[in-house]
Amino acid sequence: MAVREARTMAVAVPTTRDDLVVALGRATTDTRIIAGGTDLVRSLRVPGDEPDLLISLGGLRGLSYVRLDGATVRVGATTTFTELQHDPVLREHGLCLALAASTIGSAQIRNVGTVGGNIANASPCADSAPALVALGADVTTVDGAGHTATRPLSEVVLGPYHTSLACDEAIVEFSFPALGPTQRTAFTKIGSRTAVTVARLTCAIVARFDAASGILEEVRVGLGAVGAVAFRVPEVEEALRGQRADAEAAALLAEGCVRAIGRSIPDRPTLPYKQHAAVGLAYDTWNALGLCPPCAPAAHDDRPEEVA
Amino acid sequence: MTDELRVVGRDHPIADAALKVSGALVYATDMRLPRMLYAKLLLSPIAHGRVAHIDATEALALPGVVAVFSHENAPQRLYSRYRLLPDQDCPEDEPLFAETVRFAGDRVAAVVAEGLDIAAAAVRLLRVQYEELPAVLTAEEALREGAIPIHPGGNLLSEFEHAAGERPEARGNEVTVTVATSLPRAHHAALEPHSCIADCDASGKLTMWSPTQSVFGARTVVADLLGLSYSQVRVIKVPMGGSFGGKQEFTLEPVTAFMAMTLRRPVRLALEREECISSTMVRGASTSTVRVTADPAGVLKDLEVDTLFDAGAYGTSSIDYVDMMTKKLTRLYRVPQYRHHCRVVYTTTPVAGGCRAWGAVDITAPMEIAMDRLAGRLGMDPVELRLKNLVEPFDRELLTGAELGDARIRECLVRGAEAFRWDERVQQDPGRGRYRRGVGVACGAHKNGMLSDTFPDFSTMTLKMNEDGSVALGASLHEVGCGAVTAMRLIVAEELGIEPEMVSVTEADSDLTPYDFGCYGSRVTYVCGAAARQTAVALKERLLEVAAVLMGRPVAELCFRGGRIEAASAPGEGLAPAEAVMAAKTVLHEDVSVQSTHQATSNPGAYSAQFAEVVVDTWTGLTRVTDFLAVGDVGRAINRAMVVGQYQGAVQMGIGFALCEEVGLDTAGRVVPGGFKQYHVVNTPDMPDVKVILVEHDGDDGPYGAKSVGEISVVPTVPAVVNAVNRALGTSLSDLPLTPAKVVAALR
Amino acid sequence: MKMSLTVNGTRHEVDVRPTARLIDVLRDELGLTGTKEGCGEGECGACTVLVDGKAVASCLMLALQACGKEVTTVEGLAHGGELSLLQRQFIAHGAVQCGFCTPGMLMSAQALLMENPTPSADEIRTALAGNLCRCTGYSAIIAAIRAASGREADRADGSA
Ligand code: FES
Ligand code: FES
Repeated sequence: MAVREARTMAVAVPTTRDDLVVALGRATTDTRIIAGGTDLVRSLRVPGDEPDLLISLGGLRGLSYVRLDGATVRVGATTTFTELQHDPVLREHGLCLALAASTIGSAQIRNVGTVGGNIANASPCADSAPALVALGADVTTVDGAGHTATRPLSEVVLGPYHTSLACDEAIVEFSFPALGPTQRTAFTKIGSRTAVTVARLTCAIVARFDAASGILEEVRVGLGAVGAVAFRVPEVEEALRGQRADAEAAALLAEGCVRAIGRSIPDRPTLPYKQHAAVGLAYDTWNALGLCPPCAPAAHDDRPEEVA
Repeated sequence: MTDELRVVGRDHPIADAALKVSGALVYATDMRLPRMLYAKLLLSPIAHGRVAHIDATEALALPGVVAVFSHENAPQRLYSRYRLLPDQDCPEDEPLFAETVRFAGDRVAAVVAEGLDIAAAAVRLLRVQYEELPAVLTAEEALREGAIPIHPGGNLLSEFEHAAGERPEARGNEVTVTVATSLPRAHHAALEPHSCIADCDASGKLTMWSPTQSVFGARTVVADLLGLSYSQVRVIKVPMGGSFGGKQEFTLEPVTAFMAMTLRRPVRLALEREECISSTMVRGASTSTVRVTADPAGVLKDLEVDTLFDAGAYGTSSIDYVDMMTKKLTRLYRVPQYRHHCRVVYTTTPVAGGCRAWGAVDITAPMEIAMDRLAGRLGMDPVELRLKNLVEPFDRELLTGAELGDARIRECLVRGAEAFRWDERVQQDPGRGRYRRGVGVACGAHKNGMLSDTFPDFSTMTLKMNEDGSVALGASLHEVGCGAVTAMRLIVAEELGIEPEMVSVTEADSDLTPYDFGCYGSRVTYVCGAAARQTAVALKERLLEVAAVLMGRPVAELCFRGGRIEAASAPGEGLAPAEAVMAAKTVLHEDVSVQSTHQATSNPGAYSAQFAEVVVDTWTGLTRVTDFLAVGDVGRAINRAMVVGQYQGAVQMGIGFALCEEVGLDTAGRVVPGGFKQYHVVNTPDMPDVKVILVEHDGDDGPYGAKSVGEISVVPTVPAVVNAVNRALGTSLSDLPLTPAKVVAALR
Repeated sequence: MKMSLTVNGTRHEVDVRPTARLIDVLRDELGLTGTKEGCGEGECGACTVLVDGKAVASCLMLALQACGKEVTTVEGLAHGGELSLLQRQFIAHGAVQCGFCTPGMLMSAQALLMENPTPSADEIRTALAGNLCRCTGYSAIIAAIRAASGREADRADGSA
């Protein structure tokens, strides 16, 4: 490990987990941890705001992985979006996260940006967040005392650019139950253009489905970019449990998402747009699950009234 | 004639392409001068207020900081960044540094330091107290009774009306539609951010390196402001990473020159993207209401337009810009009466300035959206309605009486409609499904130079032949990045019968190259290109003259044949041009070089008809342009590849203007931060492969018949896209851009 | 801080602030000004370089993140004074106008072709989504990349 003093700023580039703990042991509230840097580098340029210690995770090759550990998928924090996008294990056991990764930024961003950085930055528009939420992911961290802790994602990301991570605490891994053959998953995103766009609305679904009966046994829905943090929508999940996977289920999903958005951002000027767009997004996500023949919402101008 | 063309009309790469693909071309921000200092601006964070106090103590204490400038230690003289000519009539209302800030982005102060990092850090150490004044964020607000005056003369910068013709007596069966269309502030979005370097030597001579559209204009503004003689200011045009009008006025040159002159050291000022968007110039926001009347057969009887234009905080070119808006529609349509009322208004928002096609985009969108509405009311096909009213070749336009030359808009429209299969596609029902497809068409007119205006529309060039027969064209060209230099090279090569590689071409240097007004008004190919050709002809005459002396024959007997100068009576005997040049030098002690001035004598119309197909997602409100055809009346393509490429690039800009590009302000008047994250230009996944058809008749006075391309190419794009969206959805959207939220709102 | 960077096959020792961006070190310390800055926010792609063969935005990467890796800039595309096929196709197809986007476009295209030697037009569009061009409308750029990939280049300049 190299720790070098540069004027007032120290730099640590740990290459092992032990090195990381040592570096974190020196961290203060002015310390910055840099993973890919695609969110952080701009703020590091603000003169006068230099950190006292910059910890770069780039040397930690060991934190870049996706692996199946029994029935659990483990994703190293510095795995890049490009790696997630193409990872065969993730595509088989947690596809929605791979799909979310593929919609992030440009190739240049995906090649560098990491899932750990995406979550630690805690942007309300983070594309990976609704996927991790729907997958029921836990976050494992390590701190300067060498303690390892694991807690649900919802306990880590608390608000816009606000996490429960201590200044000497770094995310090292995400883990979630591996999706099996009876589960389907999808992720869709609406931005302001096709690619390289901040999300205006994202939706991830994980559904357990009994092929014989055509019944949805368990559904988890994550919404992102509509409120402070990405969130699950229990109301829809309840409504869909035990439903037949058909056009009616798609409609329930759409209505539930619209209502959830109404609750999440009741006073935002973007509410009417996002509620309308959510219908399209919900159907896209539903159809991507491939549980039934593709279904379409009734034409917007055929509907007697908007879903409240 | 054109069958014999060897190089003109073919595909050529841009002249400096090899440098560009190897990263070797030196743009302003790539330059390093010895002892160069770096400047960083402090821009106003508030839309309107007085700078009560500036404390620079901390900033000055930072090691490496050389100076801090603000209104406290800079000339207070007001100037216009647009005053290209010493006697040009334009509002002088802008200071180097503001004591009263008039928009969020106004220059409050600058720090000059030994390094950019230091300057950036020091700017953050400036402590400024503002006394806030009420912000005035829209033109309507600015005109309201009791609105705070932004400048001493009040907020109405200019109001005027142009009118011509007479409305035929009403028959009572006319159809009138009235449509108000709004265009937002837009960012030119040249990929190269604004930058400029100035140096002042021990003798007091100021030299500037700037990617500018007029070295003589920059010189005028800077010298007049700083009280220098024009011989004391030298402006050198450096490579430019695009302008689209964003670099045509002198935004950075005056302040950079002042700092260099004060410090007697080279100073570089380079902006970041967010600073470019908020602090340089935008295309101004405008609303134009078009009231158009036609008889039941669709023949136009009357056209009245009212334009309200938001000039932002300083006047710059806005009055002329809006005046230009009034000079486009009668170049496009025959109409018995035209009346256009305009108001140009100050607000405390980013400064409006020239933008590609100078008002033609801003007025053609309202007109062509209204024409589609009229077609709908008449139950007539949009192409058919336009064909009933478009100008014919060699018409005179109504407003100024100018001749339109070999105006081929009708042919553009007819050929385009056929190639696009308009008749068939316009019939297609967009259906009731989630995704709706529609097609749209629009026409546009522009110009070729500035003849009808009070600007110097001539170009002077020199051409000398080297001892090996290659030539050097001395010209004040301002390559913006789309091939002006290449075009001149091709024209000279064609005329002299040599290869393009044998022609070197200069760009503008106010001390070294002959006068040319600059890259404005779609004049470069038409006027400068004609000058290049004329200069080449003059060189040939000079060669014959020299050869006549050397060969001891009368000039009248000599001619060019097979690349040699021969006497008609004695084929086989004669001189190669290179031999003539060599002998002229050693035998006659003379140089073979000429200077020639071409004066524009016409300003014909340039035209384009464009066709768009869109697919709109009625749930997400996202619109994709799925097919696009642009047809251009270009007279003659000098460099076919670049003409097609400019059309394709223009469509990229127009689609953005129609669907997503908008410099948004928050409620306090600050540009919504985020640079290109917020200000989306169209990227590859959303860009169709644009097809281009060129209509070539070479019936006008440009070189080989060429007409302008760079501006007309963007003129009809916006309404073609908007009309397609409205057709797909059955809506009448005209508040641009057509963002997903607006599309969805229109459907709800 | 002192660090060593390998750029276009040459190792350089530089002494810069730890927060220095890769683009600043390339341009200001090493004089490799072919890499352009159009936005500084990862949105325009003008600053694209290759790090270990992958396209990255050098305006969003600290130089220290590139230590120990192979950096390739536009200056590294030509060999022995000879332009690469990709560069030559950019010239031949009129894919260059003002040229400010060109270095970044080339580097994104180079990364793509190294990974996928015969990309479809759609794959090219996806790979270039983070590279903005205001001059060309992209068609000529896409045609140049297709030509360099050895795929039959359509006459994508659109002339009809
Ligand atoms: S300068 Fe790096 S992406 Fe624009
Ligand atoms: S060539 Fe000018 S931005 Fe692409």
